[in-house]
Amino acid sequence: MSLLREAERCVANQYAHNFNTFITPLSRAGPWLDRVKEADVRKEEGKPKSAVDGRLISIKDNICTRDLPTTCASGILDKFTSPFNATVVDQLEAAGAIVAGKTNLDEFGMGSHSINSHFGPVKNPRRDSSGEDLSAGGSSGGSAASVAANQCYASLGTDTGGSVRLPAAYTGTVGFKPSYGLISRWGVVAYANSLDTVGILGKTTANVRDIFDILNQHDQRDPTSLSTSSRSRIQASLQTPQLASRLTSAPLRIGVPMEYNVSELTPSVRRAWALSLTHLREQGHTVHSVSLPDTKHALSTYYVVAPAEASSNLAKYDGVRYGTRAEGPDGDGKPDGYLFSNTRGQGFGPEVKRRIVLGTFTLSADAIDNYFIQAQRVRRLVQQDFNAVFTAKHPLALQSADKIANENDVDVIICPTAPSSPPQLSDLKSKSTKISPLDAYVTDVFTVPASLAGLPAISVPVTVSGEKDAELAGIQVIGQYGDDQLVLKVGEMLEGRHLD
Amino acid sequence: MVYWTQLWQRVNEPVLDLDSLLQVKPKLFDYIRLLVWYIVYSRRKSNDLQIAKSPELPQIHVFQDSTLSPESNLSMLRSWIGSGTLRSLRVRRLTRSSLSFPKAPFSSAPNRYLPASADRVPLRKQLKQEAKALRSHKRQRKETAEASREEWELTVGVEIHAQLDTETKLFSRAATSTSDTPNSNVALFDLAFPGSQPAFQIATLLPALRAAIALNCEIQPVSRFDRKHYFYQDQPAGYQITQYYEPFARNGYVDLFDYDGIAPEDGHSQIPGIPPSTQLLDFNRVSHPLIEIITMPQIHTPATAAACVRKLQAIVQSCGAVTTGMEMGGLRADVNVSVRRRGEEPGQYQYDGISGLGQRTEIKNLSSFKAVEDAIIAEKNRQIEVLESGGVIEGETRGWTIGSTETRRLRGKEGSVDYRYMPDPDIPPLIIGEDLLSSLRDSIPTAPDALLTLLVGSEFSLPIEDAKPLIELDNGARLEYYHDVVDILRTLQVDQDDKTRASLARVASNWVLHELGGLLAKADRAWDSEIVPARSLAHLIDHLQRKLITGPTAKQVLATIFDGDHRPVPQLLEEDNLLLRPLSREEYLALAESVIALNPQMVEQIRSKNQLGKLGWFVGQMMRTGEKGRVEAPKAEEILRELILG
Repeated sequence: MSLLREAERCVANQYAHNFNTFITPLSRAGPWLDRVKEADVRKEEGKPKSAVDGRLISIKDNICTRDLPTTCASGILDKFTSPFNATVVDQLEAAGAIVAGKTNLDEFGMGSHSINSHFGPVKNPRRDSSGEDLSAGGSSGGSAASVAANQCYASLGTDTGGSVRLPAAYTGTVGFKPSYGLISRWGVVAYANSLDTVGILGKTTANVRDIFDILNQHDQRDPTSLSTSSRSRIQASLQTPQLASRLTSAPLRIGVPMEYNVSELTPSVRRAWALSLTHLREQGHTVHSVSLPDTKHALSTYYVVAPAEASSNLAKYDGVRYGTRAEGPDGDGKPDGYLFSNTRGQGFGPEVKRRIVLGTFTLSADAIDNYFIQAQRVRRLVQQDFNAVFTAKHPLALQSADKIANENDVDVIICPTAPSSPPQLSDLKSKSTKISPLDAYVTDVFTVPASLAGLPAISVPVTVSGEKDAELAGIQVIGQYGDDQLVLKVGEMLEGRHLD
Repeated sequence: MVYWTQLWQRVNEPVLDLDSLLQVKPKLFDYIRLLVWYIVYSRRKSNDLQIAKSPELPQIHVFQDSTLSPESNLSMLRSWIGSGTLRSLRVRRLTRSSLSFPKAPFSSAPNRYLPASADRVPLRKQLKQEAKALRSHKRQRKETAEASREEWELTVGVEIHAQLDTETKLFSRAATSTSDTPNSNVALFDLAFPGSQPAFQIATLLPALRAAIALNCEIQPVSRFDRKHYFYQDQPAGYQITQYYEPFARNGYVDLFDYDGIAPEDGHSQIPGIPPSTQLLDFNRVSHPLIEIITMPQIHTPATAAACVRKLQAIVQSCGAVTTGMEMGGLRADVNVSVRRRGEEPGQYQYDGISGLGQRTEIKNLSSFKAVEDAIIAEKNRQIEVLESGGVIEGETRGWTIGSTETRRLRGKEGSVDYRYMPDPDIPPLIIGEDLLSSLRDSIPTAPDALLTLLVGSEFSLPIEDAKPLIELDNGARLEYYHDVVDILRTLQVDQDDKTRASLARVASNWVLHELGGLLAKADRAWDSEIVPARSLAHLIDHLQRKLITGPTAKQVLATIFDGDHRPVPQLLEEDNLLLRPLSREEYLALAESVIALNPQMVEQIRSKNQLGKLGWFVGQMMRTGEKGRVEAPKAEEILRELILG
């Protein structure tokens, strides 16, 4: 199939299915058509610019694009177009890819079901046996659903606490969150800077890897982007014979964290996890139980750190220099009143306001010691938990922090991405069974630890035979910092497996 | 033209105070100095000049140059002072332009730079009177106020924000220029655009480090940036980036001496320490990098607090960290003030590790040294009044308007801002290497205090009044020139006795500061060490010291060189026949007799009324009629006394 035909089909799907995946879809006709045709020519000549030359890649709407609006699914930016492209967008376009529109999300990335959007909730292209609309996961729900619904070749999302992996698990796609600092965040609207990572969603791990290889570059505009020298150090640390062989032939040591076997796990998810481990053992790898004792504090840590940073990052939205202002005069009509109280009151949705207030509280003078600073300490413990179980030591850790080798050390950790199958949208919305924000936060319990530690993690879909029919689940692979290629490799081993 | 109201009347004036200007702008200081010198000098030179008094005109006419229009004078002054805070001065000038003075009626007078019309008080006299009035006014005020407040001890801590001299902003490559079109130097990050990130500009670190070194701080190898949150209209991100938890410099100190203007009761030397939270790099409203200098609450008098601010400004300026001072808004001070009754239980409050203090209040955003002093006095008096009437001081933030007599409440404790300091997750820690520090330490100019110690010490024995301008003028170029002159002069005078040689440093400073300085001011030229090469000046002084030329000749030759005569001094003196050929006693007698014969009635007055002052007039006449450069005043007077008084 030609690239043009594929692209046209994607765009047709964008308009045919109403999963509310896009806030700004790609127009049916536009300059992109010529660019795809040119890519087709290059493909025929055998000189494509890259693996994604001429492919449509949708972009989560909190990543800045010059040509399309960037709303962050927020009322306060509902008409905002950024004056510049995010580095990742420039990198993709330079590789020949076409921005396939801007996908729906939870406002500023805050949510786990992509229902906190100014533009309405995203629907999962999958439905359950009763035909009910399901959650597409969040916050990159639009990105994942657009991949699942064949509306694009792949998608860029952002992952702060699982926002790429959870939607991938719910929609049956592959979602990859690389190590923190590998992909540039310049032009990615900050939710919680110390956690925000650009993630890649695709149909297969191979597609995801192609895109990751394009984006995995130092960017001097992002102060948190890993320097070239740090990248070399990571590469060097992975070149030891023991570590290098893992990518080729040697059997891997697979870790299963005991603490992840929580009561909230649904039977089908637990079964998928067990069968995945069986599958890997059959491939000659060994499975070992490991302990990550501080995991139980990870979720609360995340919900202290992320809202704190969010409350700071979102202080800039006042509708003065950009963004949408509330009607009429602001500032309570007082000359010295704040110029933005109405604007912020009207522009932000309830979940964003909740997290701003939460973050403002945890940073306040009376609470910061018990909350924000304590959370930073726990975050360090979570990182140490991971360092303690991985064979590879953290490549950027201080030299003095020599790892004590343990015979139970593992190469990767395998666990579910989400504790359950996607909930029904009606359940999430209905008043009677309305899930409290706290319940929604529990969805992130397996994804948050890797985010806090900045580790690479991928969610791949597997199917297991269920009571009625085959059930889909997301299995997560977590690796040591910088061990992204190994994580992708293990993901590939499991991806799409039908396990019995 | 700028008109100054009499100083003592300007004590509470909201616009400009001469005191601040004099202190903050060495150039202006220099300028005023020279003006004063001019009056003194020309009075000496042309004693036939009469200037009358005019009580109905309160202004002092400081400067009038017939070659410059009033407008260009103002613009000249403005360029020294900058445009910002001078707006009100400009208005003052316009409203009073009707009072401008007529041009000098005596164009033949040797100096055109004098107060020009006949109904003026001599400036020197007026300055003196005013300084005296100011002193007594201050003394009086102080005495009455202090008497009743003696039993209270004041404690003050100072916090200074100074704009660093950098080309770029702290976290973007946008320029710091303020004179360009609005919003032309703004990066995406400065406007807090979604998705933009800070880019730390490493060059901004250099002036900050220079200041830290000059303030004797311990520079931290690792420091970090934090966000300080508060809403402000022109703070787009909703937070300021600063170093709160781990600043890059700590525990510095500054020495205050009595020549810095500390209060007499504070003794000879004070060292307010700078506590652990010393210096923070800041993003001010226009995103310029700032340093914040916080002293411990160790100051106990208003004058010393003002002296401390003045000194801090001088230090950060002399080390090249900061170029714009208080007068241009480049530097702002906050002060915290508390009082406690002497001899009672120590207060229950503790600030920066100093305990036993009373509840303090903070006065924000003081823009001149005088404001610092006055605001502290007012706040101290307010607190004492509250406490004496049984009230309680609240921890609050207060404001001060220049010219007012009391501080005003801005916000109380309940209205205080919780800045929610949070480490900035985007900005990596700042790591400062020892190599950078040592190269900066090597290149930092000698501290003004050290220079002053040298100049007033036994090697130079200069008075403080001369040593200070030598150091402050022309960014050190004048001092360098002075050293050159002294070095050459000492070589030339190697054959002289010790006493003569010891006096050379003082003589040279007089010539460098006053004689040469006077010529510069008169010609309105900027400093340039090549106008009169150090060697020429040294030779000139050498000839004068050896009595090979007279004083007036030396001054005349200096002016000749200043005007572009490049001949070596010995050759110039030879060719122009300026070397002193002493007159014989007979020649002196003949000269004196001829002068006396022309003015018998004055001789009579001297004899009958003993008006010895008129002898000087005769000396002048002898010098005028005698052969140029040959009549020595002391000898002439000696002969005159002999002839007239017998």
